[in-house]
Amino acid sequence: MADYHAIVIGGGHNGLVCAAYLARAGRKVLVLERRERVGGAAVTEEVFPGFRFSVFSYVVSLLRPEIIRDLDLPRHGLHILPLESTITPLANSDYLAQWNDHDQNRRELARHSLRDAEAYDEFGLMLHQMARAVKPLLAMAPPDPTSLSFGELMGMKRLAEHFRSLGPRRFNTLTKLLTMSSADFLDEWFETEALKATKSASGIIGTLLGPRSPGTAYVLLHHYMGELDGVFRAWGFAKGGNGSVSAAIASAAKAAGAEIRCNSPVERILVSYGRARGVVLENGEEIKAKRVISGADPRRTFMQLVGEKHLPAPFVESIRRFRFRGASAKVNLALGELPDFTCLPGRGPHLRGAISISPSIDYLERAYDEAKYGEISTRPYLDIVIPSLIDPGMAPPGKHVMSIFVQYAPYHLNGGWSDARREALGDTVVDTLSQYAPNLKNAILHRQVVTPADIERIVGLTEGNIFQGELSLQQMFFLRPVPAWAKYRTPLAGLYQCGAGTHPGGGVMGASGRNAALQILGTA
Amino acid sequence: MNRAIVIGGGSDALVAAQLLARAGREVMVIERRGASLDEGWVPPKVLRELKIEGLEPERPDPWLALPLPGGGRLELWRDMARTVDAIRRVSPHDAERWPEFCERMARLARFLEAVYAAPPPDPLSPGFALRARRLGRRGLADLLRILPMPVAELLDDWFEADALKGALGAAGVLHLLQGPRSGGTAFRLLHHHVGSPPGVFRPARSNVLELLRKLPRVELQNTEVLRISVSGGAVTGVVLKDGRELAALLVVSSVDPRRTLLDLVEPGWLDPELARALRHVRRRGVAARLRLELDRSPGFTSLALAPSLDYLERAYDDAKHGRVSREPYLEATCDERHRMEVLVQYAPYGVECRGLSERIQALLGEHWGDAQPQHVELLAPRELEEFEGWPEGQPHHAELSLDQALWMRPLPELAHYRTPIQGLWLCGPAMHPGAGIAGAAGLNCAHAILGR
Repeated sequence: MADYHAIVIGGGHNGLVCAAYLARAGRKVLVLERRERVGGAAVTEEVFPGFRFSVFSYVVSLLRPEIIRDLDLPRHGLHILPLESTITPLANSDYLAQWNDHDQNRRELARHSLRDAEAYDEFGLMLHQMARAVKPLLAMAPPDPTSLSFGELMGMKRLAEHFRSLGPRRFNTLTKLLTMSSADFLDEWFETEALKATKSASGIIGTLLGPRSPGTAYVLLHHYMGELDGVFRAWGFAKGGNGSVSAAIASAAKAAGAEIRCNSPVERILVSYGRARGVVLENGEEIKAKRVISGADPRRTFMQLVGEKHLPAPFVESIRRFRFRGASAKVNLALGELPDFTCLPGRGPHLRGAISISPSIDYLERAYDEAKYGEISTRPYLDIVIPSLIDPGMAPPGKHVMSIFVQYAPYHLNGGWSDARREALGDTVVDTLSQYAPNLKNAILHRQVVTPADIERIVGLTEGNIFQGELSLQQMFFLRPVPAWAKYRTPLAGLYQCGAGTHPGGGVMGASGRNAALQILGTA
Repeated sequence: MNRAIVIGGGSDALVAAQLLARAGREVMVIERRGASLDEGWVPPKVLRELKIEGLEPERPDPWLALPLPGGGRLELWRDMARTVDAIRRVSPHDAERWPEFCERMARLARFLEAVYAAPPPDPLSPGFALRARRLGRRGLADLLRILPMPVAELLDDWFEADALKGALGAAGVLHLLQGPRSGGTAFRLLHHHVGSPPGVFRPARSNVLELLRKLPRVELQNTEVLRISVSGGAVTGVVLKDGRELAALLVVSSVDPRRTLLDLVEPGWLDPELARALRHVRRRGVAARLRLELDRSPGFTSLALAPSLDYLERAYDDAKHGRVSREPYLEATCDERHRMEVLVQYAPYGVECRGLSERIQALLGEHWGDAQPQHVELLAPRELEEFEGWPEGQPHHAELSLDQALWMRPLPELAHYRTPIQGLWLCGPAMHPGAGIAGAAGLNCAHAILGR
């Protein structure tokens, strides 16, 4: 007898979204979380007394608006505060700012290049159109192009019709975005190095590729699809840190009747007669369910929790080939005072937005060059936010928290990760940033460094890949994670996937969890 | 007026000229100088339509030899079993996987062959989808996965021997300003596999150009076109370097599209959007050529110096940052008269190649024993541009990357060989399928002109 309709392994945001949708449909659902808190990589922790951090993921933008609406997340405590700007400090004490305010942005760009200022609006319009062209695909279970079944053929036909409806011009631009490098793509539009670099940086996040490698232009678009309250490409903080996103979803799931158990690590998935029938916890407890839905990444799900012997050999081979190669790290700083940037001294509105250390495409490529041979970038790409300026509750009065996203810090580091290498990474990051904000070193009260190995150990993301698998073209849409198994189903009956290792991938989107739930409910 | 003018003397231009002549046009081919050797596969359809006989593909056997770090060479033969034996001495694991790898790549190459023998497909058409489906479930999954992949990842999936991966990986980056870890390079490995038997990943050379030049009906003129005259949005003829003006209502250019439309045609006839897009067509030359003669046999016919994927990637790193590779990829072929031609990558266009020739000879000297080189000549991309007419030294005229392939080659607006100027058509390496596939772009272009 099954105890539950469905067990969701992992209380990350996708697992919670999936559970919430199933519970709302009246299913009896249990979410099992290994750690003491839900959220996976979207958690807020008081790392140092009084200082609260979004330890891993740190901004919100891609969370699908339909999920916010369906689950009524604002009622469950979700409150998003917008980010107004991105500043790129430059070596010559100048800077490049990008503001949400259109006129301000245009004036600033014109200061660097009149041509770029003119191109910017058209570029924005183009990306907007592309994001709209891709948006319907995000909420879709990808059809299987290799299948000859009627349903799949119709799915492919609808897909072709969707692309045809874009018209040749937009379709061609979309194909270019899918196949080009972000550097080449941006070269066609802009000449200001810092602008190209800061924009192309969003094309390398979470992948071990440089901005000149084809395939990165799509990742750029992926990060451009952010939408808050119907406003495209708005980025924001969740009040209370990213943990409050998870908390809101968990609250919605519980309100709908889902059960959530923390401190319940799953040891394996129960399989008998070719069907998943429940899970065994590490403490030996067996829980039965009609369906098991794994929010863990594909390698962990299949190689660890299920086991090769229950799966067809070609499938196992494909899962083995699914690439992770985490390349991102996080440095979280507790600050006694705000950083003082040489290029924009004092406390200004620029500190309330993002600060990007990405002065040129060459800078990013050099950072990548070291990482591809297994070293930490000497001068890494940094994306910095200071949440305490917008949400004062994150730090004690007068003090601040700074979140620094770092790339590249390869998981496969020569010689492996150790405490010494972790601190060396922290020093590299602080040194890099100090070049632009010299008071930083003295302002640091505490420092937390999270390497890809730490991400793997703490959150359980294989190789520390923040997307549960690289977001490269050969691992996307109907190829994610494995061709013919992109519809959240698996070769093992009764087992489903709902993590970011499935279409459409990571970025605190929640779309994978929602799509999986709709597939299971048969209402997609 | 029945005259058609074909600009350029490569295989595409000659095929187009022949087909137009056979359809009753009076065709004049204007070539700047005798075009150089064409490499690559000649689709059987081209031979059939032109009724050409006597094509002799030329391929050394072993088709590639790779020096091994501990001495000795890994030789890749046309014969599968012999290659497997050779690989086994380096890696039994790889030897076991080689036949399946070759079989799967060959299946995809057959698919590309069919695509290459026709005008660029419409990716959204049911016909194209059906043809792709004929690859079978696994074949289609392979195709979708491999096309956008870095060649390094593909090879890491299959093999462990660095020498083997290096040599195959080099096929993924030939004439491309990308390294083996860049996306889209696995497609290039397939592209260079097209037309070859399973297990052979370098195109054959052939006498196709010689055969084409012997065909009657077409007048060859050895001069240069200075300008394509346009009036009222339609072609009226060409102006030659010697001052002659030839009237024609049909002009087919195998010169690269950017030069054709932006330099040869007077500005003003092109929509500025298209002109802008044309300026962004990437055509960066990255390979130099070293020609020399040896006084005796070097002991190989075809040798590749790419000890590992990392070696290639580091060679690319230099080029990416605007330098000639300190340790370049070398591919040397030697004929029976000991004349050697070496492809040297990366030597980016416009970068000074001082000392490169000596460095290459030193690198190769370890492999050719006591042979003494003479008549050494290094052609950097800038010289190749000047002598061969390759823009920026790029033999493919437009880099063959995924975003400049198939229906995007060289631009979606121009992919069907037609230009916005009435009577002006494009063929040549920059047009689909181009890039080393001899004659197919010419055939497709002529068919489009003749409305077939």
